[in-house]
Amino acid sequence: MKLSTIRYAAAVFGVVIAIAGCSGNTETGDGAGPQTTGETSKPTPGGELVWALAGTITNDSLDAHKAGFAPTTRVMRSLYDSLVVELPDHTIQPWLATSWEVSPDGKSYTFHLRQDVKFHDGTPFNAEAVKFNFDRIKDPATKASISLNEIGPYESTEVIDEYTVKINFKTPFAPFLSNAAKVDLGFVSPTAVKKYGDAYPQNPVGTGPFKLAKLTPSTQVEFVKNPDYNWAPANAGHQGPAYLDKLTVKYVDEESTRVSVLQSRQVQVADIIPPQNLVALKADKNFNVQEAELLQVNFSLYLNQQREPWNDVSMREAFRAALDIGTAVKTIYLGTSKQAWSPLSPQQFAYTPSLENTYKQDVNKANEILDRLGWKMGADGYRSKNGKRLTVEFIDTQGNREKRLDLISIFIQQLKQVGIELKIVSLPSGTYSERRLKGEYDLVAGSQFSGDPDILRQLFSTKGPVGPNNIARANDPQLDQWLEEGYLETDPEKRKAIYKKVQEYIIQNVYSIPTYVFQYSVASVKEVQGITFDYPAWPVFYDAWIKK
Amino acid sequence: MAKYIVNRLLASIPVIIGSLTIVFLIIHWLPGDPAQMIAGDDAAPERVAFLREQFGLNRPLWQQYLSYLWDSLRGDFGVSFANSQPVLDRLLAQLPATLSLAAMSILLAVVLGVVLGVLSAVYKNRLFDYIVRVISLLGVSMPKFWLGILLILIFSVHFQLLPAIGNGSFKQLIMPAFALGVTGAGMLARMIRNSVLEVIGEPFVVTLRAKGLADRVVLYKHVLRNALLPAITVLGTLLGEMLSGAVVTETVFSRQGLGKMVVDAINQKDIPVIQAAILVTAVFTVVCNLLVDISYSYIDPRVRKSS
Repeated sequence: MKLSTIRYAAAVFGVVIAIAGCSGNTETGDGAGPQTTGETSKPTPGGELVWALAGTITNDSLDAHKAGFAPTTRVMRSLYDSLVVELPDHTIQPWLATSWEVSPDGKSYTFHLRQDVKFHDGTPFNAEAVKFNFDRIKDPATKASISLNEIGPYESTEVIDEYTVKINFKTPFAPFLSNAAKVDLGFVSPTAVKKYGDAYPQNPVGTGPFKLAKLTPSTQVEFVKNPDYNWAPANAGHQGPAYLDKLTVKYVDEESTRVSVLQSRQVQVADIIPPQNLVALKADKNFNVQEAELLQVNFSLYLNQQREPWNDVSMREAFRAALDIGTAVKTIYLGTSKQAWSPLSPQQFAYTPSLENTYKQDVNKANEILDRLGWKMGADGYRSKNGKRLTVEFIDTQGNREKRLDLISIFIQQLKQVGIELKIVSLPSGTYSERRLKGEYDLVAGSQFSGDPDILRQLFSTKGPVGPNNIARANDPQLDQWLEEGYLETDPEKRKAIYKKVQEYIIQNVYSIPTYVFQYSVASVKEVQGITFDYPAWPVFYDAWIKK
Repeated sequence: MAKYIVNRLLASIPVIIGSLTIVFLIIHWLPGDPAQMIAGDDAAPERVAFLREQFGLNRPLWQQYLSYLWDSLRGDFGVSFANSQPVLDRLLAQLPATLSLAAMSILLAVVLGVVLGVLSAVYKNRLFDYIVRVISLLGVSMPKFWLGILLILIFSVHFQLLPAIGNGSFKQLIMPAFALGVTGAGMLARMIRNSVLEVIGEPFVVTLRAKGLADRVVLYKHVLRNALLPAITVLGTLLGEMLSGAVVTETVFSRQGLGKMVVDAINQKDIPVIQAAILVTAVFTVVCNLLVDISYSYIDPRVRKSS
């Protein structure tokens, strides 16, 4: 009696699980009707688009100058415009500025602004507004961080006349035009800032194709079309207001939920599709998947060079030789992300392909180095020297974002083969920041989104911008010097040459170990057309429309 | 009875103050400087110092503690370190979602738990009993996030019946409340089953039946009243669990709520938010337990008399 009941219950349960499993497949065949390709259809204005965002808007802050994490920046692209737009071939085209000149010494940029631009609250966009914005970024009370890094050696802004503005830097700053294309240097309404003060982040006012309608804390933000919009960038698909009437962004951090709400059509767009769902969605005719490489410093491992034994480059080489990064990346990302060979991601203008396939797993080499340096293999499978086990403590606070911890878990197995113990220590962000600042760790890892190779100066130089960053804890005068040169050099070809040296040097000395190249993915129901990406791979909804 | 209530109320005050004090101490002794965290890893030392001053972190600990207690009593929870918004506003904005989720989950847990528990006892050792016992075991064992995702896959993606995310409508409440309440339902069902079986075996029940009372009357009027007592105690614990389980449920279903707010605040060491949330939770737990105690004395005259 008892046994049969258990079997019965197990059967019921099994059916439930089976149903759940089946629902992972594509929806019931939508074979009815002709397959419209959509590429040549005319955009139909109107409609509401709901976007399930991978992440949240931190602190419900939509202040362009307080930009921090990527999800917030992705959303803000629809609210704020920039002076210029950068095309994939790295040329700079007009946007809010119609033309510009750079002074011969490279320290001043004079922009001629469009004369028909207005903020969402009616305030005219002019040279005064530009000055207000740049000065605001510089002002410590604003607590800007990324935006502040991106204006580099900014000194002052001069209003030449109502629509001409001159921006002055203390030294030449090559990344400026590229940075000026970003949301982080987008324009906020001076009137709104003065009116709302500290509450401005929850009441953002820009010049963008969408304006804020309603912000529901920790949940979603609703935008409506800006009907006066008529100043789209040079590479836009059309001019005039956006096609969509309304854009709602719901925060859905949990990846399985995000994919589910797209599949159930509760939302029409979802981003950062996890690898296991990416393949299925791409094959599903009911959905479109677009991918763009996120310009960034790839997720890389940084051994703490200021701590024994990782101050010895041979030890770092041994560590890297034990890893089979290619296989690990393929296992975790199922082919949707490729192995990274350089700190910079491949689409960055100074990326050097010379590093591709230059090293691979070499367990013998690793063992040879470790033996030579006196690390004896113990009976427990791990090496030790002078009674101390070869343990690498990896501190982390972001969790399994982009499956990074899963990747590290594979590395743990690979390192064990040569007798190195890698331990993951998960910490709340307060503790993590403190230990990282104090250098109390063996390994950290991270990525950093940035469109310019100057980001390497922030990560590897002792002279980096805005106080201590130097995640690599490097202390290499040669590297510092090259990074300073790259920072000050304005000729793109010369910069490319300098950064080629820098990337090769970093890899040669194992200052960082890059792992995978992140592909930012956006999946939408097939009725949604026209989503594009700007250069750093933030999604642009200005040309998006919904096929009825 | 009134004296009983007043006694319990007075006893609650040191509990609340005690929990506030402990939380205050823990927050301040945790590593990590809130000013550094808000300013960011690469901020200049001057900005960090500026923020520390702004947040009043340079004052001696006892001063921060007293001003915290005094402000809290007046309902002034200060301003969030992270976004300079008054904490009270944020709290009030998140409260309705959490309360509706908690209320619905408890309701579900109680209804399901009591019904299944009683029936399970009545049909003891029959098929129904076994099914309920297995289901309640599952309910207690299933992780809430796993169950939540499973529910979304079945009801949202496959059957397209219910929305997966959001917190405005009743429809959006069903799945999260179920995911959250199922554990409680499982616990209550087992507890009530055992309790009812125990009471049914007591001599007074035999007497009642011998008197000629109908089985149903015996069950509902006499047995249940006695059997529910231990379950009511569990209810108090369940309420506490609701609040903590809410964090996971809120994440999976992308709902607003206190749980998520607190987790974010802890990550950022946003001290005013953490303290306010703990105060609300402590008061809520104390009030719930107070209500549980009072209902005890209402249901069980022996408690009433002895106090």
